[in-house]
Amino acid sequence: MKNVIEVRNLVKTYFLSDEVSVQAIRGISMSVEKGEFLAIMGASGSGKSTFMNILGFLDSLTGGSYLLDGVEQASLDDDRKAEIRNSKIGFVFQGFNLLSRTSALENVELPMIYRGGARPSEVRRKARELLAMVGLSGREDHHPNRLSGGEQQRVAIARSLINDPAIILADEPTGNLDTRNTAEIMGIFSRLNRELGITIILVTHEPEVADYTGRRIVFRDGLIVQDVQFRKSPRRGVK
Amino acid sequence: MNIRNLFVTAFRSLAKNKMRSALTSLGIIIGVASVIMMVGIGNSARVAVRDKVYTYGANAMSIDSDRPFTEKDLERLRRTTSYIRYITPMIGGRVVNIKYENRFIASRIRGVNNDFFRIQEWPATYGRYFTELEILSYEKVAILGDSARLALFGNASPIGRIILVNNVPFQVIGSLSELGQAFSGRDQDNVIIIPYTTAGLKIEGRRDFNEIYASTYSEDLVGKTADEIRRSLRAERSIPAGQQDGFTVKTSKEKLEMAEYISKTLAILLAGIASISLIVGGIGIMNIMLVSVSERTREIGIRMAIGARKRDILLQFLIEAVTLSAAGGIVGITLGIIIYLVITIAVGWPFLFSVFSIAISFIFSGAVGVFFGYYPARKASSLKPIDALRYE
Repeated sequence: MKNVIEVRNLVKTYFLSDEVSVQAIRGISMSVEKGEFLAIMGASGSGKSTFMNILGFLDSLTGGSYLLDGVEQASLDDDRKAEIRNSKIGFVFQGFNLLSRTSALENVELPMIYRGGARPSEVRRKARELLAMVGLSGREDHHPNRLSGGEQQRVAIARSLINDPAIILADEPTGNLDTRNTAEIMGIFSRLNRELGITIILVTHEPEVADYTGRRIVFRDGLIVQDVQFRKSPRRGVK
Repeated sequence: MNIRNLFVTAFRSLAKNKMRSALTSLGIIIGVASVIMMVGIGNSARVAVRDKVYTYGANAMSIDSDRPFTEKDLERLRRTTSYIRYITPMIGGRVVNIKYENRFIASRIRGVNNDFFRIQEWPATYGRYFTELEILSYEKVAILGDSARLALFGNASPIGRIILVNNVPFQVIGSLSELGQAFSGRDQDNVIIIPYTTAGLKIEGRRDFNEIYASTYSEDLVGKTADEIRRSLRAERSIPAGQQDGFTVKTSKEKLEMAEYISKTLAILLAGIASISLIVGGIGIMNIMLVSVSERTREIGIRMAIGARKRDILLQFLIEAVTLSAAGGIVGITLGIIIYLVITIAVGWPFLFSVFSIAISFIFSGAVGVFFGYYPARKASSLKPIDALRYE
């Protein structure tokens, strides 16, 4: 059984000034197997978003160790971290975080352009395929401001997939969406997990969203207070 | 990220704020336009001055003295120097009133011999020069400059007409081709030329004179001849060694050098002003790029989250700054050339197209973008991904 994520005694402390510091994560150990679909829950301030940012190489850790695909985060410089974010991690945010005045297609292409090495025609072809997969064929040239929230989030999912990441990190991906769009987005995530075997970690505070997943981790005051696996992770299609 | 993508990104983000981009480039536009204009005008002025001095006679020189010369001095100078080809007294420069029928003009008078026209290489368009007899016998004959002729006679022939010069009647025997404005802007063609003998007797009231014009056989003999004249005059006047000459020998070459010196000094001065406006323009770019970086912090965060490295962000903003300044450079070059062209047409100077100054201006404007864009770009690229992403 291969662990895509391996966290040992992870600590994150924010130093607000010389005297004042806040310990957001107070020693967490956990691991995630390849192909898992799990939800992180908890009240705001419980440390779950901080944890996600560290998992996503957006933020650094203060103590302990974090291995993604066997690579220790603390050992990497900024450029290597950028490369990991680019090729191993796909981000989906609550606020979508698409570039405005840039077409859906170009938004999806961007991570692959940053990675480099691919021919423009190849990048374009792959971005079109992914947009088709999330049901946005024909909307390639639309700018984010002409897309609904649900559609924007689907563009963001397509963008997260373009470099074939090992994991997708979704921070409250349905937080800004209505029930119908929430169901659609979660349907896409489930399909990605089931059919392509992509590891997905999402933060949510909605139990019905967490129900789509196979494992639930609950945070409180910087610690994991509950970690339940209630459904076997799909094994089909795992790479 | 490759260069093409970087430029596309830069163009797009500049196009979002067209007005702001245009105003930001304005400093560079003005700076570059003035460089192009100043360099052009400087070159044109130099060429124009050289042409002017050469029409005055490249081999020519003038000798001024507080102690007056006499005709004997002319003879002595011819004898004691080796290469004087033409030599003439030069009387006057005084402004006189000329009347013909009911027309009056004020004109400058010069008393000379026929060598004057050869020194100046100044051909007659109507009539003739003086005869030896006219000079020897103090004849009241006059040759008119082109604008004096035009003012008095229009298109009619001036030959044989009687004009009054300060109420003294003179007969017009010729007129000269057009010379154009002097470098000082004075009209060289508003002139009346009479024999120096007549000028001394009828206008000045004395027979000696303070100025001599002379010319040599070729341009490279000018300096040598000027030295010979100096030596000869000092000997004649028994001026002891170490004492001031009391006279000056001015050659065309010296006048040319003086004019070139002035135009060069002017060019340096103007280039200084132009580079100040380029620096001010550069600071404008830096300012706007700093604003842009802080406005787009979130965009930077998104780009970093999806895998942009520090150098990708650095290059993105640097290329944006360079695009601004280089575009300003291109517009400035175009504008500068247009203004320069208009000025040369208006003043009648030659238009000199300098690829060198255009290339330098363009490279320099690009360099301004790199120099002043680096700090904001650096600032953007050193943001922490999570801070940039959370920025409101």
